[in-house]
Amino acid sequence: MNIETQAPLIVGGERTSGKNVRTQNVLAASSIANIVKSSLGPVGLDKMLVDDVGDVTVTNDGATILKLLDVEHPAAKVLCELADLQDQEVGDGTTSVVLIAAELLKNADQLAQSKIHPTSIISGYRLACKEAVRYMNENLTIPAADLGRDVVINCVKTSMSSKIIGVDSELFSGMVVDAANAVKFVDAKGVARYPIKSVNILKAHGKSAKESILVNGYAINCTVASQAMPMKIVGAKIACLDFNLQKTKMKMGVHILVNNPENLEDMRKRELDITKERIEKIMATGANVILTTGGIDDLNLKYFVEAGAMGVRRVLKRDLKRVAKATGATLCSTLANLEGEESFDASMLGHAEEVVQERICDDELIFIKGPKVRSAASIILRGPNDIACDEMERSLHDALCVVKRVLESKSVVPGGGTVEAALSIFLENYATSVASREQLAIAEFAHSLLVIPKTLAMNAAQDSTELVAKLRAFHNEAQNNPKNRHLKWSGLNLVTGVIRDNKSAGVLEPSMIKSKSIKLATEAAITILRIDDLIKLYPEKKEGGPSYQEALQSGQLDM
Amino acid sequence: MSAPVLVLNQNSKRESGRKVQLGNVAAAKTIADVIRTCLGPRSMLKMLMDPMGGIVMTNDGNAILREITVQHPAAKSMIEISRTQDEEVGDGTTSVIILAGEMMTAAEQFLEQKMHPTVIIAAYRKALDDMQEILAELSVSIDPTEKSEMRKIVKSAIGTKFINKWADLACDMAIKSVSTVVLDNQSTGRREIDIKRYAKVEKVPGGILEDSEVLDGVMVNKDVTHPAMRRKIENPRILLLDCSLEYQKGESQTDMELSNETDFEKILQMEEEYIKRVTSEIIAHKPDLVFTEKGISDLAQYFLSKANITAIRRLRKSDNNRIARACGGTVCSRPEEIREEDIGTGAGLFEVRKFGEEYFTFITKCKDPKACTILLRGASKDILMEVERNLQDAMQVTRNVMINPQLLPGGGAVEMAVAQIMKEKSKSMTGVEQWPYRAVADALEIIPRTLIQNCGASTIRTITALRAKHAADGNQTWGVNGETGQIADMKDLDVWEPVAVKLQTYKTAMETAMLLLRIDDIVSGTKKAEGGEGTGNAAPTGQ
Repeated sequence: MNIETQAPLIVGGERTSGKNVRTQNVLAASSIANIVKSSLGPVGLDKMLVDDVGDVTVTNDGATILKLLDVEHPAAKVLCELADLQDQEVGDGTTSVVLIAAELLKNADQLAQSKIHPTSIISGYRLACKEAVRYMNENLTIPAADLGRDVVINCVKTSMSSKIIGVDSELFSGMVVDAANAVKFVDAKGVARYPIKSVNILKAHGKSAKESILVNGYAINCTVASQAMPMKIVGAKIACLDFNLQKTKMKMGVHILVNNPENLEDMRKRELDITKERIEKIMATGANVILTTGGIDDLNLKYFVEAGAMGVRRVLKRDLKRVAKATGATLCSTLANLEGEESFDASMLGHAEEVVQERICDDELIFIKGPKVRSAASIILRGPNDIACDEMERSLHDALCVVKRVLESKSVVPGGGTVEAALSIFLENYATSVASREQLAIAEFAHSLLVIPKTLAMNAAQDSTELVAKLRAFHNEAQNNPKNRHLKWSGLNLVTGVIRDNKSAGVLEPSMIKSKSIKLATEAAITILRIDDLIKLYPEKKEGGPSYQEALQSGQLDM
Repeated sequence: MSAPVLVLNQNSKRESGRKVQLGNVAAAKTIADVIRTCLGPRSMLKMLMDPMGGIVMTNDGNAILREITVQHPAAKSMIEISRTQDEEVGDGTTSVIILAGEMMTAAEQFLEQKMHPTVIIAAYRKALDDMQEILAELSVSIDPTEKSEMRKIVKSAIGTKFINKWADLACDMAIKSVSTVVLDNQSTGRREIDIKRYAKVEKVPGGILEDSEVLDGVMVNKDVTHPAMRRKIENPRILLLDCSLEYQKGESQTDMELSNETDFEKILQMEEEYIKRVTSEIIAHKPDLVFTEKGISDLAQYFLSKANITAIRRLRKSDNNRIARACGGTVCSRPEEIREEDIGTGAGLFEVRKFGEEYFTFITKCKDPKACTILLRGASKDILMEVERNLQDAMQVTRNVMINPQLLPGGGAVEMAVAQIMKEKSKSMTGVEQWPYRAVADALEIIPRTLIQNCGASTIRTITALRAKHAADGNQTWGVNGETGQIADMKDLDVWEPVAVKLQTYKTAMETAMLLLRIDDIVSGTKKAEGGEGTGNAAPTGQ
């Protein structure tokens, strides 16, 4: 730290400013990018993360890696948040967004060092980003018209290729597309929606990944309350309750004052009977599967057993809501009606073809198959151990997001570095037409995009410089020579290390993910570029004993 | 760039590249080495002492690894696969570790030759697919109702265990207990064999192992509540309750205001009357035997014993369910709602026996018991624990065969056969993948090799002889006789293993290897993940 950069102003901390801070930020961003770099592409590898308790996570997902890393540098944190944002917004492409952002920063730093003001760079980047997205949407997307199931499956396969389930992408891609289609519904505006969150993914270790199954229906990780209950009910009428079926008791603080001892006996009897009456009311409507978020007392189980009904207690509310939606049941939080009486109407029941409890591994699951109102889907993942199952779940989540994006935005772009290479050629040509300071920034933007094909080639242990040069030559030809327009689909084949037509090879990605990742990366880079001063405050001196938080941590407050 | 830029927390350590890959291989190998000597009929037990001073003596792979604490993250996931194997099929926990370790070792040479892990993984995946096909071809079907056939299989599963000396007894026990709890579910049309819930192993130290038996009924570690009650009843009528026969206050907070002293008397009287009413309702159904999960008050005991009813209190829920299944009763929850059908009449004999200092209640000679208790006797608690583990394995094997009656020759024969076929196949493959593929085939030989090693025979000579045997047609059932270290035809030795176990072993081992090979970076000391990532919820495997 030089004396010059230290401001005379007294701040209770450390101050870095000017060039120093920018260089530091860029350095931090690059080191983050370096961490996730090797997980990009079909030949990318996984990371193993061990937290302080010793729990192991194995993952290939950029967002997950960065989320688990204990990042300290503020600029690096921006990148981690960027990956998280991409994960939430679109669900896939988290690694590439970090790579692009870091590369943008690196090149901007070089420009800044040759005394170009960051604001010029920023406006250049903005312009380039806008033009790039426009060009991509106009020239590189493959529109909805020819969007068959094959295209969707290809997109999923592209997303999966880098993941642990890549070798089984044949099986999983079909599964994911089917699952997404199962939960499809058309909203009030007539737009098809794919709420992929309602695809329930359960994990059970054992068997092999290939034996993962897609269940048409909803799977709940619960068991029937009593072993004497039937394990399978065909033509199920499902009641979804959100209250306890336990002995009724008064709320806290309510005292019952009894003057006549005889009444005491009645009170006790009443406690038992209230619940019994409730159950009888529910049973009277013909319900034969009762799911509740609360508990069911052992002494009430017998009524279910005698009626040949299934009672399931402690169902998660989230699960129950989805079950209710799928089967057409109403989630019933109380039996009381407006008249002050208790009633249960048959219209509150949901219907499903069958409800069955099955043993998977060492555990039991309840499947609600063939729900009447809306089809539902659950995927049960199998694998050698929990770590693998967790990673498979993350991969499937990404894949589901891809399906959703493809089907909702209805356009795809070729993957494998095609878009980036094409955009970089386009932007370079565009830059020469801009007669201002922004020209340089746009050119650097074009250059930065090449990080994706470069990294892809590098991970595949190919000669990245030569391969990317070749790729650029193809795209240059496609854009300048109208006869060779078909070359615009050229991308990398990473297994053999040659250039091929990625559109016909079926390496596709949803265009939304691409455009979002370029936009988000630009925004993040701009945010960091604008910084010219970093003040890190020293932790405040404590006065008058330890702070509240410290006391909490040291357990002084646990009385 | 005067000051170093600290991006990551300084506490976290990061390793990457080849070092990690080779480190993972080494970790897997180490774990495999720990339990290598536990494979086969000449295996030895391991004695583990936990920090609390408790002792475990076992040769069960899962039981050993469960107790070991390891630092290396890859080793942790190795240990976990043993648990997976145990929960899924119950046997083969040692072989799965050894195999996974060997698969990792096989990949080491390729990593050193700078082959890309994804290529190795692709080859492994292909190998796994082929293995499954080959196993299906090699398997033979048997009739699970044939007792003698079943005995052979269970015997070969027990052969490697501590109870080997009592193999016949153990076989009979495993087969009898499992066939007792088989329930052909009419509605789902599937066979349901719930060993965990309905075949309970009760260990009573004392006596000798030969005294162990499978009861045609249930035993619980309880005594009658009142000394005057009968201790032996033939053809008892059994009533099962899960409510208490005591006066209980209501759930709501109740205060009582007494205005005159007679009221006090009344309350006490009411309590008595309540007991009287409840017991009279029970007596009205004329049971000989009452079991309850909760307590029985002294007064209730008196009433019951007066009516010549034997009562037993504070049963476990699972025991109650088991009795219900054994004698055909239903567990009742309110005395006033008892119906005639709820009373179990399937049992032939109730008696209380005394072992050592403790009393045990037996409900035996059930007509059609769908639940049973396996009574184990033995010299000490540690031995009983091991015998129980062995018996559990045997029961799991029986269960697997009953569900899927397909068998493979044991003693390393099937591994040699698979390896042989895969090697043939690899010759017709093109590209780099054939080398890892062939390495998988070679790695499979670790099972017969370890068998030979453990009985002290000459490894190279025997393996070569075995390989030669398999090269000729029609010798696919030749393997290693784990007792002598000679090669032998498994058909003659009657060493068979269920397909389900073998398949699971291969799948788990290969997929773990694939998972670990994909890793090129280890970061430790990361922050704890904030729960609830991803879309799924709690895994059924969660602990």
